[in-house]
Amino acid sequence: MYGTQSRRDLALEFQAHMPILRPSIHARRANLTVKFQDLYGFTVEGNVDDVNVLNEVREKVRQQGRVWWTLEANKGANWYLQTIVSSTLKSSLKFSALANAITLKRLIRKGIPPVLRPKVWFSLSGAAKKKSTVPESYYNDLTIAVEGRVTPATRQIDHDLPRTFPGHPWLDTPEGHATLRRVLVGYSFRDSDVGYCQGLNYVAALLLLVMKTEEDAFWMLAVLLENVLVNDCYTTNLSGCHVEQRVFKDFLLKKCPRIAAHLEDLEFDVSLVATEWFLCLFSKSLPSETTLRVWDVLFYEGAKVLFHVALAIFKMKEEELLMSHQVGDVINILQKTTHHLFDPDELLTVAFDKIGSMTTTTISKQRKKQEPAVMAELDQRLRRLNSLNE
Amino acid sequence: MASMGHNNLNAKLVLLGDMGAGKSSLVLRFVKGQFLEFQESTIGAAFFSQTLAVNEATVKFEIWDTAGQERYHSLAPMYYRGAAAAIIVYDITSTDSFARAKKWVQELQKQGNPNMVVALAGNKADLEDKRQVTAEDPVTWQLPFDALEEARVYAEGNGLFFMETSAKTAANVNDIFYEIGKDRIGALSCVEGNDGFSIFHEDDLAGSAKRLPRAQPAQNPAGMILVDRPAEGSRASSCCA
Repeated sequence: MYGTQSRRDLALEFQAHMPILRPSIHARRANLTVKFQDLYGFTVEGNVDDVNVLNEVREKVRQQGRVWWTLEANKGANWYLQTIVSSTLKSSLKFSALANAITLKRLIRKGIPPVLRPKVWFSLSGAAKKKSTVPESYYNDLTIAVEGRVTPATRQIDHDLPRTFPGHPWLDTPEGHATLRRVLVGYSFRDSDVGYCQGLNYVAALLLLVMKTEEDAFWMLAVLLENVLVNDCYTTNLSGCHVEQRVFKDFLLKKCPRIAAHLEDLEFDVSLVATEWFLCLFSKSLPSETTLRVWDVLFYEGAKVLFHVALAIFKMKEEELLMSHQVGDVINILQKTTHHLFDPDELLTVAFDKIGSMTTTTISKQRKKQEPAVMAELDQRLRRLNSLNE
Repeated sequence: MASMGHNNLNAKLVLLGDMGAGKSSLVLRFVKGQFLEFQESTIGAAFFSQTLAVNEATVKFEIWDTAGQERYHSLAPMYYRGAAAAIIVYDITSTDSFARAKKWVQELQKQGNPNMVVALAGNKADLEDKRQVTAEDPVTWQLPFDALEEARVYAEGNGLFFMETSAKTAANVNDIFYEIGKDRIGALSCVEGNDGFSIFHEDDLAGSAKRLPRAQPAQNPAGMILVDRPAEGSRASSCCA
């Protein structure tokens, strides 16, 4: 029963059956909106230019694949695992590890080929290590143990299953729902502080599409929540999420001061849009391949990537944003931008070359600085709400 | 925030309510005239705008459709801050969602903009056979208060507009926005306090009054209208079945 039938490489399947998109001559002339399926089976609406961009992206993905295969041929299949510089190694080995690390970082920012994603993500994110610390049968036992249990979390999960990327050719099928359910319910029992938080449905769904097995998707979800992202991002009052939003606002002020000042004049709180970005890790706003390119870097470099990408979205549209007069305009600009970012490099180039560096240490410090204020605010709010009920 | 040109009004509106009550579906129906059986769950909030003609004026709604899960509650102030209107949505087939709606009402009464107009929408009115929250008996609704039932009594008592809606059949969806729009036009033609409302100059007011013959000039500061409004509001919207 459990999951074996769904061990299918959806990404591969979709790519194999996906012909090059050729918009009709009429569509070209009229610059019509066309609907098509992207690499991961999502229906996308775009114009002819978007289709052309998507075709170019496919070609780039293929080229990037060749780069990775060549490296594997030269350095061995798991070369990217030998990037940890250990002091016990001989200096020549140390050097090669360092060289590998530099190559790897650059390579990952250029994108992991979809076929290699499950393997590379699993190793580099720490999911493999996490899984190795528990008995082999952990996930299997967990899903069996929780089957049939009803909790507030399971009820909410059931409610959201058909509302998670509805219309997707695999996710929105009985098999897709059942698989996503096992992953989310399993996790809700693994960490009862998180239980189920809306948003995780989208994250887990996309993980399922990428990873080869639901078990690996489960471990990716675990490593994401337990190691990659800030603590308490999804727990009862989303305190971690509030912290990230404050840190983000500080960065926006530093890195894009003109935009920050203008938005402040419009009384536009950037969290109005950025909250969803951080909670769904862009999966609801960016096209699928672009989202996964962000995740490639996220799993290797950590949560700072979310700040880079969020800042880049604002930065890319600086001039347009400065011309906006209303909150609605700002949102429209940002939405239009994110929905049409079919070329991941367009976004990631800005994110990593034009924002300037933000180290994990800086971000940790910023979080520490913001935490007391967030806690005080949430606490005060809770007390006020409780006093309403008295 | 609500602000007004000569005959155009911008009004920030927020939708609050339990997960799955149909907030996004109401918005989708109002903004695009569509209905989806399964609407993507909203994370954080989604933004929409829609302009509605109310008599001689237009009201441009800037709508924040918020996430319903309880833990997202802590984000809500960001969305209702400075809002001119709120629609609190519950699902008539779920008493839990009605209980949640009451909590939202309390919170807005304490924390929200005091001039805000608040509407209560009992959604999924098409699911009559699964109803758990009673609105009123259509035959008896003109009887005195004690014959009225749960939701309407509650709305009356708390100064809320009340309508039962169905995003699926479109029943009362435009109406609830229309009533809010009408109210806002009325409320804004007097001078407001410091809660995110624009203060109008005499000539602005004169200009808009000329163009808005049917807009009721408010007798009291907008914050106090709430007390008197429920009776009018509910009579204007009696088609719940």
